[in-house]
Amino acid sequence: MIHRAEQQLGRLTRAAVYFALVLAAGCAGMDPAPQEPSKAEVTQGRAPASAPQPPEVKPEKPVAAKPVQVAPKPEAPIVAKPEAPAAKPAAKTAAAPTPKEPAPKKEVGTPPAHKPAAAPLDLAGLVKKLKETDAIGVFTKLTLKNQVDTLLEQFRGYYQGRVKTSLDQLRQPYDQLLMKVLSLLQDSDPPLAREIVQSREAIWSILSDPEKFDDL
Amino acid sequence: MGKRLNSRVLAVGLAAIVSGPSLAADELSKDLSSTIALLGLPCGKVVSSQRMKDNDYIAICSDKNRYRVFVNPEGRVVATKQ
Repeated sequence: MIHRAEQQLGRLTRAAVYFALVLAAGCAGMDPAPQEPSKAEVTQGRAPASAPQPPEVKPEKPVAAKPVQVAPKPEAPIVAKPEAPAAKPAAKTAAAPTPKEPAPKKEVGTPPAHKPAAAPLDLAGLVKKLKETDAIGVFTKLTLKNQVDTLLEQFRGYYQGRVKTSLDQLRQPYDQLLMKVLSLLQDSDPPLAREIVQSREAIWSILSDPEKFDDL
Repeated sequence: MGKRLNSRVLAVGLAAIVSGPSLAADELSKDLSSTIALLGLPCGKVVSSQRMKDNDYIAICSDKNRYRVFVNPEGRVVATKQ
């Protein structure tokens, strides 16, 4: 009798250990983030009770009303905002340090032969690679796309004379946006982040040239 | 032998059931965190989320802020404080 109980206990212990191992293995594989469709499923599983809520939540929104209007704002500001005055010098320094960039490149790409191999991306290439990467989620990609569109609209306005600004001033939101992209990618997709760093000036040369910009 | 195999299969199946959704939920939380940060709103980290409908979530942040993150009819991602 006791022997049987011991056997059962042993089996249970083994099962628990397997379970823990498999769980750990599952967690280790989290970064690649393969399952976008299942996100919806998971949350669907949670949400059935809350599905009817949306209509209730909407009426409550005196607070929400603000942000809805605010939402477009942050995007414009993100590109051209209050940070602008303080950041002008920063932008200049960011623009000036372009000679500084080669130094980190050397550190990162240890073999000198690696540089010529990686051709700089153009804007379309960058957008395509960002679409394809699994390193960032769908909402993040869409938000970035919105912000890229906002930036391009600013350039369009500048070239059409609708917006009074200068290329130097447009460089700042460009750098900020690139920094955001890099911060999202540097841990989860380092090769793409590196490629973007290397393409920084190539992309800027397209944006800052009215003829090349028209071809976009 | 058969019982051992059964318990292994059970453990693997259980792990798949438990860890699959949590991975997806974690990815969603990361996505919402990044989105809210990109929009320049204070949040910290999204600790939980609730799906309202397609492309429409309530995100609860580590700093207790709550945002509704959704795609508006113009195709823009918007986060509104709740």
